[in-house]
Amino acid sequence: MVCAAVSTRISPEFIEKIHKVMLKSCVADVLDLNSVSNLIGDSIQCMQGIVIAEKGDFYNLEAWRVGSILGRDFKYPESLGERTAIELAHHISFAGRKLVVEPMESDETNARRNKFDHC
Amino acid sequence: MKQMPAEINSTIAKTAVLLLRENPNQAPEPYKIVELKGLAKAAGYTLLAEITQRRGRDHRFQLGRGKIQEAMTYKPDRLIFYNPLSPGQVFNIRNEFSASIIDRFNLILEIFASRASSREAKLQVELARLTYDAPQVRNAISLRKLGEQPGFGGSGAYEESMYQDIRSRIAKIRSSLMDVEFIGEDRRQKRRELGFDLVALAGYTNAGKSTLLNRLTHAGVEARDQLFTTLSPTTRALDMKGRKILLTDTVGFIDDLPHFMIKAFRSTLSEISQADLVLLMADISDPPEILRLKLAASHKVLWDCGCQGPIITVFNKVDRLTRVEAMRRLKIVEDLAPSPVLISASTGWGFGDLIQMVRQKLQPLREVQIKLPYTSEGMSELSKLYDRAELLNISYEEQMVVRLRGRDDIVTRALSSKVRQI
Repeated sequence: MVCAAVSTRISPEFIEKIHKVMLKSCVADVLDLNSVSNLIGDSIQCMQGIVIAEKGDFYNLEAWRVGSILGRDFKYPESLGERTAIELAHHISFAGRKLVVEPMESDETNARRNKFDHC
Repeated sequence: MKQMPAEINSTIAKTAVLLLRENPNQAPEPYKIVELKGLAKAAGYTLLAEITQRRGRDHRFQLGRGKIQEAMTYKPDRLIFYNPLSPGQVFNIRNEFSASIIDRFNLILEIFASRASSREAKLQVELARLTYDAPQVRNAISLRKLGEQPGFGGSGAYEESMYQDIRSRIAKIRSSLMDVEFIGEDRRQKRRELGFDLVALAGYTNAGKSTLLNRLTHAGVEARDQLFTTLSPTTRALDMKGRKILLTDTVGFIDDLPHFMIKAFRSTLSEISQADLVLLMADISDPPEILRLKLAASHKVLWDCGCQGPIITVFNKVDRLTRVEAMRRLKIVEDLAPSPVLISASTGWGFGDLIQMVRQKLQPLREVQIKLPYTSEGMSELSKLYDRAELLNISYEEQMVVRLRGRDDIVTRALSSKVRQI
């Protein structure tokens, strides 16, 4: 899985400035709260400010519990600006995942093709 | 449990008891029962009592059996639940307690159904109800068919066709509403061509949107201290220091609305999403935590309906607070309040600031000079410009030299017109 963290300055309506983008990937056997929170914790390590993530990412846990897991100020998105920032992070993570997964898939396809050629 | 004062009006037949289950892992949310009370009153119920319970969800009755028995001792016409009820819970409560029950979502639909006057509003309410009913009917059919043998005594094709009928009716309503949406889009385009800026009034229910519309345009729209007074959009023209504006009053928002309900009201919400400017109204006399929740709920609906225009947050009912208190509350919610303005729609306080902010946020008008020939096409173009833009000066020389000011799209069209002489 791939996690994109975006450090931005936001107004209630818009993203005003993007400071930093961090993309991390990891492979896990199970998609549990621990692996998700570890990955997110790694991604936001060198970023300042309040952490915002969607409710589903933390299995609908209450904000204060997520905050104590991450050890950072945490909230779920409320304003349009915060939602736009999350949407931006989604686009980045989706593009990042494609970058990670597609070479793997093409490698697999090549391996399969080579195997077929040898036969 | 809290018992209501005995203010039962004999003319109103409907009585109700409100029930709310709070999650024991979450902080108490007293505004929920207050909001449910407002909704029940708006639907015309006389309230006998309100019962809250902090516990996990009971799979059979939503609340504990004892609480429902307690509610039934008031002999209400209806039990109103804040929490959504599953088809199984509805079946169990009806069977065990012989009670007429309704949940918050159905209560909202009941209010909408009683106030829907236009064809569009009626279709939207029907669509929301059918979308809610469809999975419930499917569930009920599968419950009835449980252990059924084919042949005599079976539920048969009739029940099965009921679900199909609902699906086909939903498809028909969706296509009718799509037509309404196209008509609305055409209307907005025509209005823009006539030089109007489209401004939408949005916000949580009972924030004072209709009162502001009445105050600014003398529209005479019904405005009451009650939830969901406005259901269909109402548009009125307004001249704001030389800018022609069409102000549209829309249906109020509410927290925890299911996604399909927002989808059902898409054609109404498109008045907000396609507006040139949105005035997001909020009641600043609400306690700060509730004000924050209402603003967050409003932002969610604006996000869901794809709002594109700039937003001004209009804090209404400022006359109920001191200036210091209003500024303190404004500070608490500033991260949810783009371009805030304090006003009182009932007294007219702060309207100067509001008008200034609206003029600032709307796209600035463009000023150009064009030449038109003395032909019938030229005269026709001049006549159109009279309607759509502000003509500052016309001098009749070899050609007509027209100096005009107007919206960017109108000026661009005038500049690219074939009739125009360079």
